[in-house]
Amino acid sequence: MNLDSSIVYLSLLIFLPAVSAVAIALFAPKDSDDPVKQATLAVTVVTFLLSVGMLLGWPGIEFSAGEAAMQHLCSVEWIPSFNIHYLLGIDGISMPLVVLTTFITMLAMGASWNIQKHVKAYCVLFLLLETGMIGVFLALDFFLFYVLWEVMLLPMYFLIGVWGGPRREYAAIKFFLYTLFGSVLMLVALLILYFSSDVRALDAKTLANVGIADDRVEAITSADTPQHTFNILALQQLGQTTEQFKGDLAGKTYEWWAFVLLFIGFIIKVPSVPLHTWLPDAHVEAPTPISMILAGILLKMGGYGIIRICYPICPEAGYDLAFVVCTLGVVSMVYGAFAALAQTDFKRLVAYSSVSHMGYVVLGFGVWSTLNVDYWKLGMNGAMYQMIAHGISSAGMFFMVGVLYDRVHHRDLNQFGGVFSRMPVYSGLAVGIFFAGLGLPGLCGFIGEFFVVLSAWNYSMVLAIISAAVVILTAAYILWTLQRVYLGASYNGPHEEALTPITSREFRIAAPLLALAVFFGVYPRAILDYMEPSVSRTADDLAPLAASFGIDGASPTEKVADMPRGDRKLAISNTPSPALRP
Amino acid sequence: MNPAATLPAVLAIAWLLPLAAFAVVWIGYSLPQLAGRRPGATAQRFAGWLATSAIGSSFALSMFALVVWLAYHPLGGDEHGGHGAPPSYSGDYYLLAQFGELRLSIGYYIDALTVAMFAMVTLISTCVHVYSMGYMDEELHEVADHEVATSDGNYLHRPGRYHRFYQYLSLFSFSMLGIVLAGNLAMVFVFWELVGICSYFLIGFYYERPSASTAANKAFIVNRIGDFGMLIGLMALWTSLGTLQFGDTQLTARTSAGHVKMVVPIEQGIFSKLRSEDQHYHLDASAMVRSAETDESAHPGYWLLFVAGLGIFSGCVGKSAQFPLHTWLPDAMAGPTPVSALVHSATMVAAGVYLVGRCYPIFVPEALLVVAVVGAVTLALGASIAITAFDIKHVLAYSTISQLGYMMLALGLGGWVAGLFHLVTHAFFKSLLFLCSGSVIHAVHSNDLRHMGGLRHKMPWTAYTMLAGCLAIIGAGVPIWGIGFSGYFSKDAVIEQAWSFAGANPSPTYQLLLYVPIAGAFATACYMFRLWYMTFVGEPGHPHRFENAHESPPSMVGPLVVLAVFAIGVGWHTPFMSDLSVTSILEQARPAGTQATTSGTLLTELTLPDEHLSHEPEIADPASQSAFFAALLGVLLATMIYVWRWLHADEIRQSFAPIYKLLSNAWWFNELYQWTFVRPTLALSRLFASIDRWVIDPLVNGLARLFAYAAKLLDRVVDRGVVDSSFDALAHGTWDVGLALRRLQTGRLRQYMVFLVVGTLGLFAIASLCWKYALAG
Repeated sequence: MNLDSSIVYLSLLIFLPAVSAVAIALFAPKDSDDPVKQATLAVTVVTFLLSVGMLLGWPGIEFSAGEAAMQHLCSVEWIPSFNIHYLLGIDGISMPLVVLTTFITMLAMGASWNIQKHVKAYCVLFLLLETGMIGVFLALDFFLFYVLWEVMLLPMYFLIGVWGGPRREYAAIKFFLYTLFGSVLMLVALLILYFSSDVRALDAKTLANVGIADDRVEAITSADTPQHTFNILALQQLGQTTEQFKGDLAGKTYEWWAFVLLFIGFIIKVPSVPLHTWLPDAHVEAPTPISMILAGILLKMGGYGIIRICYPICPEAGYDLAFVVCTLGVVSMVYGAFAALAQTDFKRLVAYSSVSHMGYVVLGFGVWSTLNVDYWKLGMNGAMYQMIAHGISSAGMFFMVGVLYDRVHHRDLNQFGGVFSRMPVYSGLAVGIFFAGLGLPGLCGFIGEFFVVLSAWNYSMVLAIISAAVVILTAAYILWTLQRVYLGASYNGPHEEALTPITSREFRIAAPLLALAVFFGVYPRAILDYMEPSVSRTADDLAPLAASFGIDGASPTEKVADMPRGDRKLAISNTPSPALRP
Repeated sequence: MNPAATLPAVLAIAWLLPLAAFAVVWIGYSLPQLAGRRPGATAQRFAGWLATSAIGSSFALSMFALVVWLAYHPLGGDEHGGHGAPPSYSGDYYLLAQFGELRLSIGYYIDALTVAMFAMVTLISTCVHVYSMGYMDEELHEVADHEVATSDGNYLHRPGRYHRFYQYLSLFSFSMLGIVLAGNLAMVFVFWELVGICSYFLIGFYYERPSASTAANKAFIVNRIGDFGMLIGLMALWTSLGTLQFGDTQLTARTSAGHVKMVVPIEQGIFSKLRSEDQHYHLDASAMVRSAETDESAHPGYWLLFVAGLGIFSGCVGKSAQFPLHTWLPDAMAGPTPVSALVHSATMVAAGVYLVGRCYPIFVPEALLVVAVVGAVTLALGASIAITAFDIKHVLAYSTISQLGYMMLALGLGGWVAGLFHLVTHAFFKSLLFLCSGSVIHAVHSNDLRHMGGLRHKMPWTAYTMLAGCLAIIGAGVPIWGIGFSGYFSKDAVIEQAWSFAGANPSPTYQLLLYVPIAGAFATACYMFRLWYMTFVGEPGHPHRFENAHESPPSMVGPLVVLAVFAIGVGWHTPFMSDLSVTSILEQARPAGTQATTSGTLLTELTLPDEHLSHEPEIADPASQSAFFAALLGVLLATMIYVWRWLHADEIRQSFAPIYKLLSNAWWFNELYQWTFVRPTLALSRLFASIDRWVIDPLVNGLARLFAYAAKLLDRVVDRGVVDSSFDALAHGTWDVGLALRRLQTGRLRQYMVFLVVGTLGLFAIASLCWKYALAG
């Protein structure tokens, strides 16, 4: 096996956990809980090292910073009769998310040491979950993407449903129903796009660029029948340069329907109001490590889907519905923050804070700007940065809640207090991580939020002002929580004697999270240098298209781009959007 | 030596030293706790020394920077003719992010104001660090907190937190210097929030006390309300101008692989974009709109600029505790007294005034009028409440609010130097006053003025340095000779500008902006001397406390003396070097184009007079005299009540009972906000949470039940046994998840879910096959 080859390396990255899971399932003896945990942790560590290895420059497969294009594109035929390929690749958008995934998974495994029930099954499912997550970020074939998306769903369902809290079954089924609903919509969109695509419209050079093998290129260009494709990069090109997705379906274009279906599918994952109610229940019932993964990584897939699939494949629909997207983002921010303020369950509060924070992501993606694309780049990069930052801070917050829960077995905010005096080091770390969630400058949460908010004014002053106001609510619910849990003299709940200082295992999970929160807050270019070129290129590709939508008269946003800013927003807000009302 | 290279480097080191101290104390003192060891008294004391030497070195470096600055930029020289751009250096330390032409960076903007503020902040901070070694002494050992009772009825005993105090103090110094050094508004915002969080930590230092933690929360949240406005200002400027950089910045070429960015050699800052040299530094609002044609209003960009100015000012309203966001500052007195001296009077709260001064070129005259009016209201409000307060720190807190109002008023009326001059003098005398009050509190263990009295015999150093502070704040001086305490010069400058403004704007409403500061001078003298008399003169209010009172240790008295010297003399021209004074340094930093008399565009009646006009004798003399007599009257009134006892405080209180009630309850602002903002917000939050519970969730659950029924139907139709057994076999064969599955037997819903997945996938396969053959065929 040659690690220099992209396909081997990327496949290893994806399937190492799954292969290890099978090995554990088959060969691990009974009653060997600790060795199984250690083996699982070792696998996650190796996977993490593999992902970081690309950054550090493993010969032949190093990930080069500052490169906008897809790197290490590699393709193998999988189901030729449907043009389904095993197509992988990595760019500045997926790279940070892959590293985040392997990193959080590793820490979450470290946080799984308290799991006592069915350890072997837990570890197997945990590793399968990791395969699914990494795979989703690396897959560039829509079918492969979809399969891995589903692969991720089942382990998650069982991890919540078996190892969760008292209402785990309800939470697990709710999670499953919601995400399945999203998957079905995604599947429909997938079929719409597949059957209306025809890659013959692309020239040979583009075909080569999107990862289609040379021998296939010839077959495609000489074919008589339409050549459908699941290749996401090819679909992007088709969506941006051809009219193939502009066919009429119930008064709207195919593209419009595909966008709406995909978008609903993705914002369920994000989650955006009003499709968010699975999240608080899933979090409250899930065991701590699963909450970390859920908040730290799974939510990011929604955002990833929007920037990788929704916008590039359906740019015109995205432009038409930008106002809806932005509004959903802002509504989530406000709604989540208000709802968090009312919670008395510690974990539920953190869950709602996730809803609020992920609203920034949706807003950042949505702030299309045609006159000055730099502001959209700012918003998109801010949104991507917010995803990484939230991955760190929310995973940290859930872990911190878990540390307390492990000790006192309750999460009622009104029955805490005085934890600072009893667990000083833990509390110091927790306060730091919560401040990262609060968006305090110098910590990672600030950068993304600040970028997104700064970019929003260019799109809509009203939305910008509302989004800026969320900083007040965020401060209110986080500080109030800190006061109720950590400050004060006396602890008001049961099991006071159990409030023992943080163990070194817990410290080794929390400290890296806080250290990264500080590092990314002080030096954002550590991420942006890798991420920004790819993200900005997406904006650069799409923004000029938006200007052209009006010209051929097909679009309801006719001449919008030529209007002054105020009128443009009005025009966008007036475009009908019935499908997004649930 | 090249000042363009030296100054940024020197100030950067001065800025980062406290951060280093913070990091060392934080990490170095936390890690041993992992092993269950708490740092001993010696180790904690070492943390104090570490932090103090860090800030002391910062002070030395700041003084060095000041000397370098003065050496290269002679004062008084009319080098920029009073109209050109002030000498300044701006550049980047490092780039945070760049998107096309948009850049955000950590950088510096150094002018005379920066250098002066550095010297002032580090000096006061050093004094407070030294003072705290004495004041926080008890934190070295186990502390009995008499304000917190444990459940068994005893006072709370807890380990000391001496090192934590210095840790926060260091972080604060770093953040504060960051605001002063900042080269762009984004960086200001970063450090703006950081000083906020330091203030949060320091107010909540005694976090076991509910009052302290609540006050800390309140301070941060109220500040965030101001910051919300500031964000709006930032967004408006950023979107319109494409930069938040103050000065013009020389860019270095940055090319990234793949695509070469067009390199702009100089990035124009907001100052030169809004007041370009071609326009003779006149404010050009049309720079705010990208193309003037699209804005068909009479004054393109003017409203936007007005909004931007107001936005930035609202950040300053929060930070500087101006009306209507002033309520957090009195509560912030829950922190240790040295913190009140440094953070909540001398430096952080003055940052708002500093920022208005720094962003002065952005403000249109109408926005400045808002600044002035808010300043005047705050001034009156603060002074009125200070008269009735009995907590020594509350008197000083309201006094701080009122004095900050003076600064805002001066800035708003066109007195740029006057406002910032008062900032500097106030920083010295108010930190002195707070440290003196701390010394008194340390001696009598009470904040209540009624428990004090006659203490000048017990603690003369404290008493007379505090007297110097009182005389400085009321602006004592001799108008005929033109000598006085520092406050005499700065307060006169403020009132002169108000006088000049009132002369230029005959409208009667504008005259109020003159009467309020003069009345304020009277009130200031009255409450300050009330405070001093009640503390140090007359009979002891609490004999037991009086008996145990004693002068503070040298580490506390020393800083008092240093600050007293500055409180007296900082307003003077340096002997033998008549050009060197705070005012002449500030004059050198005056932003280009802000000196000349300007008129409003929307309010055409409004005129902001040239500040130099206010020094003309026909304005300066009557202004100075009226301020003098107002203050004299105030002192006399206080003396009549508290020394000569011709009038009795109780009787006055009774005869003005309604007013007294209003003032002693701080105009009921807290209650008002509680009912108008806090409760509605909480109610709204419960509403949102219940929408989830009672609207969305039932909908989802109903849908789920529907699915379940549908699946049951499907179940009957499809042969249950076949699918069931095949699925079970799959589960058994691959993972031992089957085990888990069986435990989950609560219904068949789960399996139906699996049906759905398998079913849709199958459906898809069939559909695509049909399609393919239909097309192919």
